[in-house]
Amino acid sequence: MTPGNLQAESFAAYPPQARALAIEHLNALKRMPLILLAALLRQVIQYDWSFPAEREQLVRQLNLLNQLDAASFDSLMSPFAAIPLTSELSKFDWVNHPQPFSEKLTAYLWEQHLSDNYHSVAQAYQQYLEKALPQSQPVTPRWTIVVIGRGSQQTQYSLFRHLMPHGMLFTKLDPSGALETLSAAVTSRAQQHPLEYGHWYIDGGEPYSVAAEDPRLTTMSYARLVPAAKREFALLKEFTSHGANGSVGVEAVGSYIVGLSPEDLTLKGTAADAPLRHFEVNLITQGAGCQIFSTTFVQWAARECLHRAQPLTLFARFSTRQGNAPMEQLLARDPLQQPQDAEGSLIDADMGAYYTWINQSRLPGADDSRFLVWFEDHNLACAIAPALSKGKTYTGAITMRQVLEHMA
Amino acid sequence: MDFLRQVAQQRAVTRRDFLRSVAMTGAASQLLGFSPLHAAAMPQGQKTVVVTFGGGARDEETFAPEGQENIPHLLNELIPQATFFTQVVNRGILGHYVATASLATGVYERFDNFADVAPKNPTVFEYFRKGLNRPANDAWVIAPSNGFNRIGQSDGSLIVPGMGAQVILPKHLLASALNKTSTASAAMEFLLQDNYEDLLFTPPAVQNELGTAKLTEMLHLSVDDFAHHAQTLSSADELSVYVMRQLMKQFAPSLLWITLHDMDVAHTGAYSLYLEGIRRTDRLCADIWQMIETDPEYKGRTTMLILPDFGRDSDFSASGNGFQHHRTGDPLSRTTWMMALGPHIRQNLTVDRPLDSLDLVPTLGAMMNFATPSAKGKPIAEVLG
Repeated sequence: MTPGNLQAESFAAYPPQARALAIEHLNALKRMPLILLAALLRQVIQYDWSFPAEREQLVRQLNLLNQLDAASFDSLMSPFAAIPLTSELSKFDWVNHPQPFSEKLTAYLWEQHLSDNYHSVAQAYQQYLEKALPQSQPVTPRWTIVVIGRGSQQTQYSLFRHLMPHGMLFTKLDPSGALETLSAAVTSRAQQHPLEYGHWYIDGGEPYSVAAEDPRLTTMSYARLVPAAKREFALLKEFTSHGANGSVGVEAVGSYIVGLSPEDLTLKGTAADAPLRHFEVNLITQGAGCQIFSTTFVQWAARECLHRAQPLTLFARFSTRQGNAPMEQLLARDPLQQPQDAEGSLIDADMGAYYTWINQSRLPGADDSRFLVWFEDHNLACAIAPALSKGKTYTGAITMRQVLEHMA
Repeated sequence: MDFLRQVAQQRAVTRRDFLRSVAMTGAASQLLGFSPLHAAAMPQGQKTVVVTFGGGARDEETFAPEGQENIPHLLNELIPQATFFTQVVNRGILGHYVATASLATGVYERFDNFADVAPKNPTVFEYFRKGLNRPANDAWVIAPSNGFNRIGQSDGSLIVPGMGAQVILPKHLLASALNKTSTASAAMEFLLQDNYEDLLFTPPAVQNELGTAKLTEMLHLSVDDFAHHAQTLSSADELSVYVMRQLMKQFAPSLLWITLHDMDVAHTGAYSLYLEGIRRTDRLCADIWQMIETDPEYKGRTTMLILPDFGRDSDFSASGNGFQHHRTGDPLSRTTWMMALGPHIRQNLTVDRPLDSLDLVPTLGAMMNFATPSAKGKPIAEVLG
């Protein structure tokens, strides 16, 4: 199968909306080099379970490619076409299995020292898209609130060291009622700016009930996903036990994991929240460490949420993670029933907050975004907002409500 | 690669600025000064120890100002005695086994990082033994067990087989010992930590020619003693250094290569554990130098080279996730450093010119007087004196 041989029937195994999308843009798909086509099909095949922001981006990209004149199209595609592929890759069933194809392609590019070439070509293509399809600004400034250190005590580690240069540090914040204030602010935004998958709450432990019970928020928690992660490990153990000498190649393992569905991991929900179930599967199956450490889970989930759903509001709350242990133990035991590493968790979460800010800064409207990180139950917070000075410290007494007002 | 070169130079400037700032605080007052060569001529019976500062540390957590708190031993004890190279660029595949194998062959190897394969090109150990007609016990590798078992010898297609280094995988040694002793094994399982690079992947079963019984016999260790001592250690890398000490006592090999790996726990996404790994590696590097300086077989005749295999992804590379992985191939993850210590190495010297990771093997060859015909790269003049 070559891209030029694609027909409507080629997409028979795709979910309904994905199939319709592919058929609608078949002419453009047929003219694309395989290396880019497979990357696009990875998104197309997930279309039915994509978030609105992802759908919009994909459709706009396909429409743009459809509308390009032949010369412009060929010029845009030629750098990808210049990257040689093996016949083995070309013969792979990339239509129905674009993700495993990508894994094989990645290994091939590394082996042939073509990765740098591919990266530069892909970056140029991405820059072209960003210029041709500027993303729309959010209807209201984005807010991300990160709460770290639940269950941790004061530390010698210098918290917010990475964020301080970009915002204002508050050293005498009154912690009483602060979590309620933040929760109310988040739900209020969801009420004022209703948007499908536009307001998220991610928790590293048991979620805070007031926020978790608000149906306008998309809520995820580590505690709720641990059974799915344990199920993944059990399935994987069974799968690898069938290999010769008890060992299965890393690519085979990767392909198997990618093929797991919400049902495989016993994740249940309604048809309406299928995108969330699939998002949860992607988190667990494609993230590293987020199955075993709750701090990694929150950081990774916040990253993917910002990247894919582009929410108007993100409320991410870290908890403690289990202590370290040999990987076999970490994969086998219940992370919620182990001794916790409070001090290490705080350091992990501090870095996670910094990465969350970086990821928010990659989204449209970054200059007007607001970011707040607070050491839960303590007096320390750092706020980044256009109205606040950078690199300054406010040492006066202040409430969380007042901090939010300063940021608004 | 122009961009990579530019970034490497910027990184070198950062490292040099950092060293200068430390010198100004008096923490290492002679850091940037020049001292006379301690020994212009190569001593007889010289030995070389290569330490890979693995698996993957960034400047942000080491030589950048904010990372200095994690490497007090490198900074205050070793660098004042060393020639420090501020930019070493790795242009190969950023997987730990294949990258370390590339360091050992002087050629960017291209095999699957997770496969149980030997390097295609001759290793420095084969060049050394063949070129100087050295016995098997004169070249050893101590390595983490995730695939490194084949690193001592190439696949034999370019050099006559049988001239490689003996490879010790301390974790496998301990695992075998635990099966043969009454020592409570559960308390030591953390020393068997393996393969952070893909948490869900089980490495191939290790085919190691050196059995546990033979090894413990060779090292004059009783299985019980080995298992008992392991109880006092806190990480897999500490176990590796312990085994290294036994090797030095028993064989005093002329070419000894140890690959440290604890910091690769970063793949779990736990930043605190990654920092712990770096701090431990920093301490172990100083311990190794102390071992060399207090061992009559090594003192005054040993050159030690410390270098990372590569870095980790930048915080600002959109396709990565910062410190957690080394997947993007961005310039920062390819730009590292090296330090050299020894009797013929200038102390307190900082070298900013760019080196390539492949320069290591030809440098070892020129230093120890054996040919490295298939290796790429160039001998590093500042190490040769």
